Amino acid sequence: MCGPAARRFLFDPSACKTYSRIPIPVRTFRASAPNPKGVTATMASKTLSSSKNTGASARSPRSTLRRQGWVTGVLMVLPYTIFFLLFSLIPIVYGFGVSFYDWSLLGDKTFVGLQNYTNLMQDEEFRTNLLNTVLFTLVSVPLMTGLGLLLAVLVNSIRKGQAFLRIAFFMPYVLSVSVISSIWVIFLQPYTGLLNRILRGIGLINNEIFWLSDSTLAWVSIIMATLWWTMGFVFVLFLAGLQDIPESFYEAAGLEGANRWQTFRYVTFPSLSRVTVLVVILQTISSFKIFGQSKLITGGGPAGATKTVVFSIYENGFQTFQMGYASAIAFVLMLVILVISLLQTFLMRKIGE
Amino acid sequence: MLDRIYPYVVRVAAVLLAFMFLTPIVWMLSLSLTPEGGRLFGNGFNVSFDNYATVLNRAPIFGWMGNSLMVSTITTALVLLLASMAAYSFSRIRFPGSRVLFVLFLSAMMIPGEATLIPLYLLMRDAGLLGTRVSLILPAIAGPMGIFIMKQFFDGLPKDLEEAARIDGAGFFKIWYRIFLPLSRPALAALGIFTFIGAWNDYVWPLISISDKAYMTITLGLPMFQSSYNQEYALPMTANALAAIPVLIVFLIFQKQIIRGIAFTGGKEM
Repeated sequence: MCGPAARRFLFDPSACKTYSRIPIPVRTFRASAPNPKGVTATMASKTLSSSKNTGASARSPRSTLRRQGWVTGVLMVLPYTIFFLLFSLIPIVYGFGVSFYDWSLLGDKTFVGLQNYTNLMQDEEFRTNLLNTVLFTLVSVPLMTGLGLLLAVLVNSIRKGQAFLRIAFFMPYVLSVSVISSIWVIFLQPYTGLLNRILRGIGLINNEIFWLSDSTLAWVSIIMATLWWTMGFVFVLFLAGLQDIPESFYEAAGLEGANRWQTFRYVTFPSLSRVTVLVVILQTISSFKIFGQSKLITGGGPAGATKTVVFSIYENGFQTFQMGYASAIAFVLMLVILVISLLQTFLMRKIGE
Repeated sequence: MLDRIYPYVVRVAAVLLAFMFLTPIVWMLSLSLTPEGGRLFGNGFNVSFDNYATVLNRAPIFGWMGNSLMVSTITTALVLLLASMAAYSFSRIRFPGSRVLFVLFLSAMMIPGEATLIPLYLLMRDAGLLGTRVSLILPAIAGPMGIFIMKQFFDGLPKDLEEAARIDGAGFFKIWYRIFLPLSRPALAALGIFTFIGAWNDYVWPLISISDKAYMTITLGLPMFQSSYNQEYALPMTANALAAIPVLIVFLIFQKQIIRGIAFTGGKEM
C-alpha cells in the first residue's frame, strides 16, 4: 500500500518501495541523475542491468529523444489538463469568488466582502449541521474501522468458504445510495418493518421503536445504514493488508510463545498501521461529506436533526438560491477536508519512518 | 479448551454476520415478489411478478438505467484514456514543468467534489449544458485519481520494455498504446471498476443538474419515483430490486475482479 504516501512519494520515491508490491524504480528516466557509487555509466548499465539506473546508461541518444519527446509529452497531458482546468481549477477559483458576493440564482450580485463568512459563524442552523456532521464522523469512523478490522480478521482466519463471506460483506457496497436508503427506510418501519419484527421476535424489545421520528434514533438509523453499506470497502482494504503480512512474522510469534491476543497486538495490528491510517482518513473525509443518506433516509428530519454540512450547501444553494452563502459553506467544508488530508500526509510520513 | 473451540466460534460468528449482512437484500427480493397485502409464505410459496410489471409500467426504470449505463460507461472510458495517457507522459517523458503540473493535479485530490457544486452549476448553466447527460460526464473526468494510479503503475514497469521499441524507431505515443496499455490491463481494470461504481452511484451532482425525468440516472430517478408511495412498500421495494438486480448479477459474475480492483484502487486513493 504505497498509495497513501502520494505526496511523500513525490519527494522521496525510494520510500515507497518497501510497501508496494510494484517496485518503483528510483529516479526513473533522468539522464542527469547523479550516478550512485561512482561507477561509470557503462559499468552501471551492465551491473545493474534490469530496472534501476538504466537512465544513466545511454546519455546522448536519450537526451535528443527527450527533447523531441517534449512535444509528445505535452500533447499527451493536454486533453486531461483541459478537463482539469474547466471542471476543477476554474470552478474552485470561481466558487471562491462567488463566496464574497450576495449572489442570487438570477445573477443579481453585490460584493459583500467577508459578510457571508461572518454570517456563517452566527448561523444557528449551520452550526447545528456542522456539529451533527462532526458527531456523525466521531461515532461512525471508529465503528466502521473497528468492525471492518474485526470482519477482516474473522474472514482471514477462515479458509473454507472465504469467498462466500467476502461476497456477503462486500455486496451492499455496490448498491447505490438510493437503493440502500430506500431499503433501510422500509426495513426500519414500525409495525411492518423487518428490524422491529426481528427485535421483537428475539425478545429484545416489547414496544415498537419509531426509528425515524426521534432525533437520536434517526442518527442511529443513518449510522446503521452507512455501516451496512460501506463496511465492505473498509473490510477489503483490511483484508488485503492482512494478506500482505508475511507468514514468517506469525511463525516468529509462535516460536516466542505468543498467545492469540499477543499475536494480534504485537504482530498483526502494527503491520496494519498504514492501512489503518488510510481507512481512518478516507472514512473521516467521506463521513464529512455525508449527504445522500441524510437526504434520502430521514429527509434531514425529524425537525432538521439529521441535516449535515453538504445538506446546508444544498439547501442554501439550490432551495433558497443564496449562491454566495452556499459557496462560503463549501469553502469551510473544503478547508476542513484539506486539513484532514494534510494530517494524513503527516501521519503517513511518520509511520513510514 | 478455549483454543480448541476458537476456530468454531470464529466460523459461527462469521457466518451469522454474513447472514445479517444479506438479510436486507434477501428481504428486498422477497417483498418485491409478494403482492401488496399478500404473504410470500402464506399458503405455500406464492411468487408473483405483478409488482415488477406495475413498477415498469409506472416508471421508466429501464430508461434511467440506460442513462446510468451510458453516463458511467462514457465517463469510465474517457477517464481510462485521458488518465493513462497523461500518466504515461508524467512517468516517461518529463517535459519542462511536468513535475509542477503533476503536483498540482495531486493536490487537487484533496479538494472534495461537493465544494465545487455551486460554481459548477453556474458554469454549466452559462454553457447551456445544465440538465443534460453531458453535464454528468464532464466533471467526473476531471478527477485526478486516475493519473496518480496509472503513473504509479507505469513507474513500476521496467525500462527494458521500451528500449527495444525505441531502437526500432517507435515514438512515445506508439510505445504508450502498443506496449504500455496492453501491459497495464490489471491497473486499467481496477481503475475502471472504481470509476464506474463511482459514476453509477453519484447522487448529489445529478440531483442538482438534472430536472428532466427523461435524462435522470437510476440513482436519481429511483427516489423520485418512490417518494410518491408513503404507506405502500411492495412497489418501492420492487423498484429497489429492479435497480439492484443487474448490479448484483454483474457483481456476482466479476466479484473477484471487482473486490480486487476496489482494494487496489482504494488502497492507493488519496
